[in-house]
Amino acid sequence: MAITRRQLITGIAKVGAPAAVAVAVGTDVLHAGEPIPVPSAAVGLLYDASICIGCKACVAACAEANDTPPDTRGDALHQAPSDLNDLTRNVIKLYKPEDGSSGFSFAKRQCMHCLDPACAAGCPFQALHKDPETGVVNWQADKCIGCRYCTITCPYHIPRFQWVGFNPRVTKCELCSHRLAKGLKPGCTSVCPTGAVIFGPRPVLLLDAKKRIKENPSRYYQSRVYGETDNGGTQALYLSRVPFEKLGLPELGPESVPARTLRWQRRFYQYFALPAVLYAGLVQVIRKSLKGHEEEAHEREKETGLRAQL
Amino acid sequence: MGGALAFRAATTPSLVLGSGEAPFVESYIAGETAMKTGERDTIAAHLKKTGVSRRSFLQLCSTLIVAAPVGLSLTSKATAAQVARIVGKARRPSVIWLHFQDCTGCTETLLRTSAPDVAHLILDVISLDYHETLMAASGAQAEAALRSAIADNAGKYVLVVEGAIPAKDDGVYMQLGGKPAIQVIQEVAGQAAAVIAIGSCASWGGVPSADPNPTGAVGVDSVISGKPIINLPGCPPNPYNLLAVVLEYVTMGRLPEMDEFHRPKFAYDRVIHENCPRRAHFDAGRFAASFGDEGHRKGWCLYKLGCKGPVTHAACSTRHFNEMPGVWPIGIGVPCIGCTEKGVVWQMGTFETVPIHLATPPETYPPIYSTAGQLRVGAAALVGAIAGAVGGAAWVASQRFQSSTEAGVARVAADISHAEKAKAKPAEKPAEKREV
Amino acid sequence: MSSVPASAGANNSRWERNVPVYGFPVVNGFFLGLSALVLIAFVLSGYRELAGLGPVSGMNDAYGWGIWKTFNLMVLTALGSGAFAVGIAAWVFRRKRLHSLMRMALLTSFLAYACGLLLLGIDAGRPWNFYWIVFPWRWNMHSPLAEVAICMSIYAMIPLAVENIPPILERLWYFDSRLRPGVERIEKRLHYFFPWIIAAAYLLPGMHQSSLGALMLLAGERVHPLWQTPWLPVLYLGAATFMSFGCVAGTTMLCCLIWKRAMDMDVLDEAARITAWLIFGWLGLRVLDIIFRGALGTAFHFDRFAGVFWLEVALISIGGWMLRRSLKHHDTRLMFIGYIISSAGGMIYRFSPTTLAFRPNPQALYFPATAEVLVSLGFISLGIVGFLIAVKRLAILPAPLAEWHSMASYFRFRRPYIRWTGYFKYGHFGENETEQESASAD
Repeated sequence: MAITRRQLITGIAKVGAPAAVAVAVGTDVLHAGEPIPVPSAAVGLLYDASICIGCKACVAACAEANDTPPDTRGDALHQAPSDLNDLTRNVIKLYKPEDGSSGFSFAKRQCMHCLDPACAAGCPFQALHKDPETGVVNWQADKCIGCRYCTITCPYHIPRFQWVGFNPRVTKCELCSHRLAKGLKPGCTSVCPTGAVIFGPRPVLLLDAKKRIKENPSRYYQSRVYGETDNGGTQALYLSRVPFEKLGLPELGPESVPARTLRWQRRFYQYFALPAVLYAGLVQVIRKSLKGHEEEAHEREKETGLRAQL
Repeated sequence: MGGALAFRAATTPSLVLGSGEAPFVESYIAGETAMKTGERDTIAAHLKKTGVSRRSFLQLCSTLIVAAPVGLSLTSKATAAQVARIVGKARRPSVIWLHFQDCTGCTETLLRTSAPDVAHLILDVISLDYHETLMAASGAQAEAALRSAIADNAGKYVLVVEGAIPAKDDGVYMQLGGKPAIQVIQEVAGQAAAVIAIGSCASWGGVPSADPNPTGAVGVDSVISGKPIINLPGCPPNPYNLLAVVLEYVTMGRLPEMDEFHRPKFAYDRVIHENCPRRAHFDAGRFAASFGDEGHRKGWCLYKLGCKGPVTHAACSTRHFNEMPGVWPIGIGVPCIGCTEKGVVWQMGTFETVPIHLATPPETYPPIYSTAGQLRVGAAALVGAIAGAVGGAAWVASQRFQSSTEAGVARVAADISHAEKAKAKPAEKPAEKREV
Repeated sequence: MSSVPASAGANNSRWERNVPVYGFPVVNGFFLGLSALVLIAFVLSGYRELAGLGPVSGMNDAYGWGIWKTFNLMVLTALGSGAFAVGIAAWVFRRKRLHSLMRMALLTSFLAYACGLLLLGIDAGRPWNFYWIVFPWRWNMHSPLAEVAICMSIYAMIPLAVENIPPILERLWYFDSRLRPGVERIEKRLHYFFPWIIAAAYLLPGMHQSSLGALMLLAGERVHPLWQTPWLPVLYLGAATFMSFGCVAGTTMLCCLIWKRAMDMDVLDEAARITAWLIFGWLGLRVLDIIFRGALGTAFHFDRFAGVFWLEVALISIGGWMLRRSLKHHDTRLMFIGYIISSAGGMIYRFSPTTLAFRPNPQALYFPATAEVLVSLGFISLGIVGFLIAVKRLAILPAPLAEWHSMASYFRFRRPYIRWTGYFKYGHFGENETEQESASAD
């Protein structure tokens, strides 16, 4: 063995002690279960699937509000996207029970504007950015490298990449920020004929949703609003008659995806303390090795008469 | 022949029918001789006798096809000429028309055609043997005419009922010649072959039945049983619905297919909303928010103004009125009031938005999870080929290495040779080792 | 110097020096074939830049990452972690014997990373925004992908590249004696910074190979429970270690076979021993993790996930067993196969969470398009082409000392007129010459 037991123990101690401190510090800073801050002027949507009639006015209005050309790739005649895609920020889907029983429901799918978005957590250069005031998650073209990590991290599978063309973009609902800036409401909520989707400050929407549940508790699945705490809280809230999973909304628990999955990553890289400590340790060890190695190499150089190869 | 009934021109036909129709009514009434149904001319012969051109008749038949394209065996023919042939062969049906709690609007709709010929045609195709508004007689003569018409055509006439029947307090709220209306209708319907309840009032009570319904107004099918009844609700209904039903009965001998409210499916199976010309605006979210606003002027959807189209079964959205396209409420910018539907008109507010209910979900909506990606055969073959090539090369290479058995053999051989060498030069062995 | 122990098999000799492969032309049929593949890949990449990713690949909305990211980057850089794994064994744990494999490890790593990063540039949809990497305040430190991209780029450009410079400097030293003073100055400078560079060369791969594992953590339940675990970064790092050992040792064995070099079984046995230890340690961690998370039940369902899982476990464990057995029986064939099989199993492991075990949507599937496969293959060929050129022009492949002298005589007697081999001018054989000798020769 090249290393003696003593060297091994001292080496571990040299590296391990500061590492233990770093981990302790890191643990302290990022506590699990910490409530995620809600933006000061958080706005959102409340979608009540039990009222939605599937008229798809919101799909058309969204395209108009965002100036996107109609998506006729399905049958070349109708604007009938079959899912969210690079031209569709908002879509109405239909859930039909497989056994043919009644109990169908429409599902409006658009960005949930999570309080701790997984897409923004994964985006390398912060192209997806959550506005600190309104909480709207926006995509910025000048920072995006088109890595498509957001399409993988989003638990609701919302951001969509443009697969054709040399200047692809990432498309997702941005709550019509350009309209919000002018004091208008998002396109979808301004045309909904039945009031199935409404816009407002998040606390107000939560109160409204809870009021509806209180007035009619048996109407709503589990008598709760999806998005109040799900995935750490979202700004697009859902009420439904059928289980939320049937509408494509997974049960994620009260912790946000980034908080739950990246806990140890975050602790390890907190302030870069641990990597720095490891680096210092490695440098010491390698210095010693290098010295020994160079000595041996020089000896061999003398033996063979050939230039040493390091 | 039972008493010949002569219809004299009404003293003021213009008050009843409007100035334009006066001449033709005169000729109609003047030329009419009552006959028993069996002795009547065929429709074709009668039309010829009264001087109706074949062209007008064909036009009527083609309008019938438009009015009832589906669901009526009479009109399920390819051409108007085929319909005309069938209709022409039939005997003119005897029609007795009773009025109860009505506004006479349903009669008016029969006559309010854009071309006088058509009303004329309708009245010529059927033999209207008793009609209080259109006939000249009144009083005892009218009652006698009714008794005559019933007797002459017993069991064969079609009874058309217009207006609701007050059923409360033994029907005391409407009496015809001292007899309660409920009794009248039971007597007349007793000998009829079929009963057509024209208008919402006769179908389910209509205007008189609006809250608080003081007279207990009900539709025909609440007071008559045991007879085939067909309801043609509407306020008023399209006259071609009536004509189509009568002719179907006369030519085919049966009433058309009906829904659970006894409404013919050919006209009442769809809601207005399904075929509304403004549906695209509804789908795109373009609504008129108030009368006279920009959306209203542009012809946008009237749902937010209280249009009851989504819950109203009728064919108005495809077959407008007065044979003129666009002549119907929504077409002129007035939200549909749902005049055919019990529980909608006269119950809901005119400008109250109606909840839209779908009985079964549509087929063509995107599913919750859509498909993506496909297995490409060419690429799969390429990947397989590459994997195979790499694996094969690795295998071939591995065979070139020395395996344990070969190594064992070589080792044994080396040991043997080494041992032989050692035997041959035993002294040198230790020296060799020391060099190491 | 030890004599050749006859009992160790007929092929054992000590590796004392790295010697370029001589007597084999760089450009042969195989090389031309690979170059054609590289050209095809370049043309297709150009098309991809113009037409977008959709027409050239099988990636779709559900599977946003195709084999360019999940295979060429995730899997092949694991194979190319030799600089990290072999390096740590040689320099941190002072396994002196492994030093002879270092140059092979460094070269394979550099080529794997370079080709992987090039393909990453092609795979990114908006590569012109990569310049943000230069501004640390724009880095999203929460993002594993940012960590991977930044760390890998820095690693490939600085420590890995710098560690691959010595063979080039060496060649320059032999090529032209006028360059020698400059070369020696550079080498001295480099040696001064070596501890820092080499330490970075171990820290950075440790960080980004584990972050490659952390990438799929964010996908949560969409990765099948047999793979999804908070230990994913550690498992990815562990897989990289034994896979890269397999790659380096296996490649060296293959090269010795093809170019008829003697193999040093002491070194290879050491490598095999370490690899087997890494494999069984890793397998233990993997299986214990599955058991403690309660996911073992899913391994016994009759579906493709269980199938892939058992395939991985089988390949890796059988590979590890083969390595151990080959040590006992001095069976080089078994050792070679063991390396290949265990590396293949490791490749499947690293590939699974992103593709085979990733279920974003029950109705979606991903299969690469033909063009995509050709581009991937082309960039792998680029690495192999680079390897072939390097190994024949630089002193990378380890050999006994006698090989160096054979090379000298080869060039003296067989190709005396070829000066551009770099190592030997006519009449000079690379032995330590005095200044006078070199001056008079020119």
